[in-house]
Amino acid sequence: MIRLTRRTFAAALTGVLTGALAGAFAMALPGAALAEYPDKPVTLIIPYKAGGSTETMGRVFAEALGDALGSQVIVRTRPGAGGAIGATEVAKAPADGYTLLFAASTAILWAPLTQDVDYGPEDFTYISQITVYQQAIVARADAPFNTFEELIAHAKDNRLNYADQGAVTKAFIDYLAKVEGVEWTGIPTKGGGEAMPFLLGGKVDFSYSGGVHSRYGDQMKVLMSLISERLAASPDVASIQELYGVAIPGQALIAGPAGLPADVVAKLEAAIAKAIEEPKFVELVTENLKFPIAYQNSADLTADIDRTNEGLKKVLEAIQ
Amino acid sequence: MIENLLLGFQAAFTVTNLMFIAAGITLGIVIGAIPGLGSVTAMAVLIPITFYMSPISAIAFLVGVNKGGTSGGAVPAILLNSPGTPEAAAAALDGYPMAKRGESRRALKFALFSSVTGDTISDLLLIVLVVPFAAIALQFGPLEYTSILLFSFALLSGISSGSTVKALIAIFLGVFLASIGLDPVDSSQRMTFGEINLYDGLSLAAVAIGSLAMASVLQELIDMRFGPQPAGPAKAETAPEAEARSGLKTALPIGEFFSHWKTIIRSALIGSGVGMLPGLGVTLAAFLSYGATRRASKTPQSFGTGNPEGIIATEAANSAVVGSNLVPTIALGVPGNIAAALLIGAFIIHGIVPGPFMLTMHGDVIYALFASMLMANVVHLAIGRVGIQIWGWFATLPKGLVLPPVFVMCIVGVYLPTQSLFDIWVMLAFAVLGLVMRRGGFPVVCLVIGFLLGDMFETSLRQSLLLYQSDFTVIVESPIALVFLALTGFVLIRAARRA
Repeated sequence: MIRLTRRTFAAALTGVLTGALAGAFAMALPGAALAEYPDKPVTLIIPYKAGGSTETMGRVFAEALGDALGSQVIVRTRPGAGGAIGATEVAKAPADGYTLLFAASTAILWAPLTQDVDYGPEDFTYISQITVYQQAIVARADAPFNTFEELIAHAKDNRLNYADQGAVTKAFIDYLAKVEGVEWTGIPTKGGGEAMPFLLGGKVDFSYSGGVHSRYGDQMKVLMSLISERLAASPDVASIQELYGVAIPGQALIAGPAGLPADVVAKLEAAIAKAIEEPKFVELVTENLKFPIAYQNSADLTADIDRTNEGLKKVLEAIQ
Repeated sequence: MIENLLLGFQAAFTVTNLMFIAAGITLGIVIGAIPGLGSVTAMAVLIPITFYMSPISAIAFLVGVNKGGTSGGAVPAILLNSPGTPEAAAAALDGYPMAKRGESRRALKFALFSSVTGDTISDLLLIVLVVPFAAIALQFGPLEYTSILLFSFALLSGISSGSTVKALIAIFLGVFLASIGLDPVDSSQRMTFGEINLYDGLSLAAVAIGSLAMASVLQELIDMRFGPQPAGPAKAETAPEAEARSGLKTALPIGEFFSHWKTIIRSALIGSGVGMLPGLGVTLAAFLSYGATRRASKTPQSFGTGNPEGIIATEAANSAVVGSNLVPTIALGVPGNIAAALLIGAFIIHGIVPGPFMLTMHGDVIYALFASMLMANVVHLAIGRVGIQIWGWFATLPKGLVLPPVFVMCIVGVYLPTQSLFDIWVMLAFAVLGLVMRRGGFPVVCLVIGFLLGDMFETSLRQSLLLYQSDFTVIVESPIALVFLALTGFVLIRAARRA
């Protein structure tokens, strides 16, 4: 038994080593032949924990992007501080296109405004927007209000609680209360997995949703879209942009460190535009996650990010 | 339901699936058995492989990894007193003394059989309870969670044979350490000293592996260097030789195992109960069950000295979480723990939308998943049984050869999930703290569990205070909270009387 085990072990070890060596050669060879970008694997940093919607999307996207670029794209998760740890790493990486970030724009915009971090929005090159997080204010289907105006009216006579998901969401919902002259209490939750049961179990009156409400079908109703446009799945419900002139950043984007060479950006833009049409990725995003595919090129995205950042500053000033 | 389950078996019972299950369990056990790597790491590492499988195979494979990973953690806990994950820490309490007596194979068999039995009971509960559960789960809000966590702390304080006060100090030191990082309510930083790596608090893997696994490796290394040198070649005596010499049996007849049926069923039920409530987790289940078994035993003083009931209690409970954790996942779309969250990620990739409609919309896949889980238990038993021979061989290797790789694996295990060097320093710091605490008679596991649950405790407590505007009379309106708070008082008063 022991001898057998040793032999099997040795065989397995040899197998692994040979595989690793072969892999190393396969990666090294094209590198020697071509000098044009990309001549080595590209690392895509996702600053969130494994298992979330961004990470899930990122894994499938990386594969499609790799095919489009003709190079391997390796996903690395660097979770922490609402995305600030991964964003710091990318901001400080060499501007050669081999280290990219796939994150929500809040990871880039919110932390520099509110926390002590070593980067700002100017430390990134914005390459493309992939999709928009479908953020909204939602309530239980049997709640005594059907629109956001009715919610405000209800809040004038009742003390309401809502489930928030971190500082950005709390800031926007409290900003709304301030503008409307009502008061409500934010109950902090760690994501939709905690907030939705609170809402369904009647612990809170309404809730922020980062898109998870779409999985609950007609048990939920959407009161207002929190992003700059209406939700893809609820086109009849007004957006916060229409009603209050501000919006929660919702861009899911690809960015690199500031100062990426123009030809690298152009190459990445083209590859990303191709990758997001990959049927497997489209199915994952639109069918399973219920997000729209919303491509934006580098120029449009950069302008959009500037606008979003101004809105964030306005909300922050108002609630402080 | 039975009809659905039969259809599930029809879909899942294929050679390909069985092979994927077997591969998943084998990889899970191996990764789980490496100190420092647990089922969560195993799943995170292996999910990309599933992209190339059909949904049913992918999920069967991951279920195998999760089951194998959870039971594999007991191996280093028993053989080396170096639990790779906090969830296996309780298995070391009695497993390691048994192994030192030369009964390592028996201890491993107890662990495996308990895992498989606990897991099977919990899978059956999952299949029966998944539909009615959703309504009950919604009754559990922040107030109920706060009282359950307080009750858990009270129970855990009685787990070590030492002083209750020292255990409570260790638990609340853990809770305190968990409060480092962003404040859950207003997102300001606490005790981070401007260090960005602390914004999310200390990493659980670093704290747990450092103070549990790494500390015991360091302890062994110190003992080898400075401890009393055993006279001559006796040191080289291998476990089987010791077993042969002392005449202790390595066999574990199935009848003897099932003579502990009370402990098995109690532990499986505790594990299933804890698993059904999202967030409480595998480690808590293991320790609560260990505590309950000790309390129920006629010879509580024999726990910690190599009582097989201690292993059964731990392993049956922690494996029972694996199945029942899917109850909230499937009934509400709320993952019960990180492993279930990873499984949800895999569901999404394979086109299954998680959420309360999973069972109605994807019933075929879910019932195939249930069938795969039951099949996996049988495969698990077979593979685990073969594995014991191999682990038994590892146990015969001299310590000087085993400990250095374990040391390295602890470092790799902490580095892998977040790829942060900072976490490695945290782990080394906690290894030293773990050594100091052991010397001082403070139970290190209490520190780890306090840390593990501290964040949830603080969040639930502050959620309740905000939600009810610090009005304590609401406790009377919640029967669940009332019962758990009364039990907390009862347990603490009883401990104080005994001291």
